[in-house]
Amino acid sequence: MNSKILFLSSLILIFFLNLFTEHIDPYYYTILIYIGINIILATSLNLINGYTGQFSLGHAGFMAIGGYLSIAVSTYFAPFFMGTFGTELFGQTISFIIVLLLGGIAAAIAGIVVGVPSLRLKGDYLAITTLGFAEIIRVIIQSLEVVGASQGFRGAYIFDNGVKAAQIPVDMANVPYVFYSVPKYTNFFWTFTFVAIIIYFIHNLINSTYGRGFLAVKDDEVAAESMGVNTTKFKVIAFVSGAFFAGIAGALYGHFNLYLNPEDFNFLKSVEIVVMVILGGMGSMVGVIIAAVILTILPELLRSVSEYRMIIYSLLLIIMMLTRPQGLFGVSLRRKKLKVKS
Amino acid sequence: MRFGGLTCVDKLNAYVGENELVGMIGPNGAGKTTVFNIVTGVYDPTEGDVKFLGTSVVSFKPYQVAGLGISRTFQNIRLFPSLSVRDNIRVSFVKSIKAGFFDSILQFGRFKKEEKEFDEKINELLEIFGLLDVADEYAKSLPYGEQRKVEIVRALATSPKLLLLDEPAAGMNPTEKFELMNLIKMVKEKFKISILLIEHDMKVVMGVCERIFVLDYGEKIAEGLPEEIRKNPKVIEAYLGETHA
Repeated sequence: MNSKILFLSSLILIFFLNLFTEHIDPYYYTILIYIGINIILATSLNLINGYTGQFSLGHAGFMAIGGYLSIAVSTYFAPFFMGTFGTELFGQTISFIIVLLLGGIAAAIAGIVVGVPSLRLKGDYLAITTLGFAEIIRVIIQSLEVVGASQGFRGAYIFDNGVKAAQIPVDMANVPYVFYSVPKYTNFFWTFTFVAIIIYFIHNLINSTYGRGFLAVKDDEVAAESMGVNTTKFKVIAFVSGAFFAGIAGALYGHFNLYLNPEDFNFLKSVEIVVMVILGGMGSMVGVIIAAVILTILPELLRSVSEYRMIIYSLLLIIMMLTRPQGLFGVSLRRKKLKVKS
Repeated sequence: MRFGGLTCVDKLNAYVGENELVGMIGPNGAGKTTVFNIVTGVYDPTEGDVKFLGTSVVSFKPYQVAGLGISRTFQNIRLFPSLSVRDNIRVSFVKSIKAGFFDSILQFGRFKKEEKEFDEKINELLEIFGLLDVADEYAKSLPYGEQRKVEIVRALATSPKLLLLDEPAAGMNPTEKFELMNLIKMVKEKFKISILLIEHDMKVVMGVCERIFVLDYGEKIAEGLPEEIRKNPKVIEAYLGETHA
């Protein structure tokens, strides 16, 4: 019951905070939104890498699928959405929820496709496979004309003769068209509502008997299997729900940035999310959230010394690995929690 | 069971009756643990069949075998190190969850009721085995003997009909061994289950088992009551080597 009340009250808080955020400096506002998106990405990857112990390096791939699909739907089908739900706030909200969920579901389906065959692999092999998958996604998007290929995607041109495209084709320069840019749906409220949802989701899941299955898979697969835990099922569930939220994060990102480029979802993006999980402490929700916040703000703080940014960044990681290999909030936090219980 | 050209367990014909406590002994490398791994579905036997309550479990995966009611402990303790004793046991209830994935997240009535049920069962088990004091400790921080105990409790929590114990007395001191013997007897009486026990310690084996079979080089060389086994020349030979005198 406690977590339910906490969840609902945080939603109300987010709603009221949203009223204030309209007056924030756009620069800080952007950082705030990115913090939210990165928390979603990091906590969802934490379910796979931290709680279930499967090393996935392909989170940017799922994010790309969710992001691209959702903005493609909300631009190419913009006339449909406007016609059905209207252009008022209510209609926009419904359209947004639909495209968000579509993005999440598409990423989740991709998660099944990748997860079922590759989760038989362990450790490094799984990491390489998921990394390869993410790169495949990126390369496919790069060659998909319908979402702007390597030039990125800003919106859809819908021509009077019915043709739809991401760019004006050469032979149709004289045909009248309407340009539907990506609607700016993402705001503080939606981003942090999803932050609250994913935290609530993972918290409840992990603390239930069902969720013990994930931790058991991480700790000892053979023993878990012998105790009747279908380890493959649990791995796939973790993978697919992680992918779903990555898809949502991508959709939020797309509807905030209003422009997506395949390069946004390259190998470095995946690594960035993994670093958040490792820095925060595998399997520690609080740690991962804090790490996501720090790693979003840090590059901005280091902007004045941008030439040394990557050096400081990697130095920080090395120091972390040497001094606290379990992450900022690794095992120690959970030990405290256990003590309180007894 | 063959691994490549190596025949590990050959023409083993054995059974465990209902509520029977059977011991399986044999020198190192005789194939005892392999038998466990075949029964629990870790290995698929190259030939032959394993039947449990009339069902052939040969093609079953380990978790399916566990679902049928065969549970085991491991020769080298395999507890979940990052989980508390209570949660180690809780994992055994995962297979009997009726509330699904979404129930666990939304946590409505059905889920709560089931979770409470599990809690009660876990507490009951912990009490029977005197582990309530350490319930919230990390399983790995317990002394060796206790860890063995937790492993047995975890296996019992899956409510098995057949319990396979792989060298439960290994590494125990005489007092712990004595306690273990009582524990095994108690488990059998209280939970009314069949137990198949691998053990090297003859005192333990002779002390608790109702029937024993002996494995050597993957073949059954003897079977019978503890007294008979103790005097069986083939068994003595397998353990001590041939006597030339």
